[in-house]
Amino acid sequence: MSLIKLEQVTKRFGALTVLDQVSLSVEPGDIVAVIGRSGSGKSTMLRCINGLEPIQAGRIVVGDTVVNDPATDLRKLRQQVGIVFQSYNLFPHLSVARNIMLAPTVVKKMPPVEARRLAEEVLARVGLGEKIDAYPDQLSGGQQQRVAIARSLAMHPKLMLFDEITSALDPELIGEVLKVLESLARQGMTMMLVTHEMGFARNVASRVVFMHQGKVWEEGPGRETLGRPRTPELESFLGSVLH
Amino acid sequence: MIREPNALDVLYLIAAARWTLALTALAFVGGGLSGLLVMLMRVVPARPINWLAIGWIQAIQGTPLLAQLFVFFFGFAIFGYRVSPWVAAGAAFSLYASAFLAEIWRGCVEAVPRTQWEASAALGLGFGQQLRYVIVPQAFRIAIPPTVGFLVQLVKNTSLASVIGFVELTREGQITTGATFRPFTVYGIVAILYFCICFPLSQLSRRLERKLNVAH
Repeated sequence: MSLIKLEQVTKRFGALTVLDQVSLSVEPGDIVAVIGRSGSGKSTMLRCINGLEPIQAGRIVVGDTVVNDPATDLRKLRQQVGIVFQSYNLFPHLSVARNIMLAPTVVKKMPPVEARRLAEEVLARVGLGEKIDAYPDQLSGGQQQRVAIARSLAMHPKLMLFDEITSALDPELIGEVLKVLESLARQGMTMMLVTHEMGFARNVASRVVFMHQGKVWEEGPGRETLGRPRTPELESFLGSVLH
Repeated sequence: MIREPNALDVLYLIAAARWTLALTALAFVGGGLSGLLVMLMRVVPARPINWLAIGWIQAIQGTPLLAQLFVFFFGFAIFGYRVSPWVAAGAAFSLYASAFLAEIWRGCVEAVPRTQWEASAALGLGFGQQLRYVIVPQAFRIAIPPTVGFLVQLVKNTSLASVIGFVELTREGQITTGATFRPFTVYGIVAILYFCICFPLSQLSRRLERKLNVAH
């Protein structure tokens, strides 16, 4: 059974159609790289999958939860679907440890001692064990983004969404974040990433989805799709990002 | 009989300043608690409740405090309840403060970036949990200067309570002036006493602000 299924999903902002009857499915263990020009609807698609944006038509199913059903408890869904944002969005008033412990203690009612151990464990996975008591503004962008990934991991999601998570980073910091993504990929995490990192899409993603004008324009295995584009739109997009 | 102002008059003025402080404290605590409620009603994602809060805020902000005082003092009398100046002033100032504080605090809550709401929602926190653990702690820091600013206004506005016979600093000044016929001297002392209350408040606000900006 697919982990994510989008059926004819349409999303509009006023008169602007951002997603135009998008259909897509993601299987457990898939690593899907979503690429496309800005404004093509890639980030919006990601945000619709965990219910941050409502949709106007179609159906989104994650596991056995229909996301767009008004009766769905989005809080339950979001415990299973992690999302990491471009601007990290750490809580600036909380230490790294408390950023990570917040959702497990408040949402899952985990005892603080156990949550602290969990924080240590997920921080070790992103290579930031020694920063556990730092505050977000004491960390570099790359470190903050790794903490954001750790915070999301602490909820043990079945699926993780990454929304251009390296786009706000200085070039020399991108590598450390991509390394974390690669290790998650090796551990079998199902991931969907909106990204401009074509190298990552080619080498790590099991599938590439190219979006254009709110539609899934082209999709297929990473290396093949990027190596031999079938549509002139993808070809011109690749031409513009690779040079 | 007209006499010269003396040290005892100053002492009486200082004693009356206690009631200015007491009324301010009552209005700030009462207005703070109800203002918190009105602010929550203003930001909760439910239209009818928002409108209720907006209606309340507009009604209070759109009418003079003096009129509100009269409504409380004389309004109850019409229905056969005699209320003391204390009750009327306490209630009127609390409700007045509730509307202004609600609006100040709403601004502070809205000044917290929308992405903080999103990030906490994405972790599965509900509305109340988002407010309590993520939004309000950040809004609190932003709220200190405008809240203290309002508190200083409140101290000075309590002088209006003198019109319903509440003896606070200004009313005591009127009484002393009546006996001594030295308005310049007496009201000068009154003004200095108001300053002695308000200036430390502003200083306290600055210190708090600095402290919260350094420590986490």
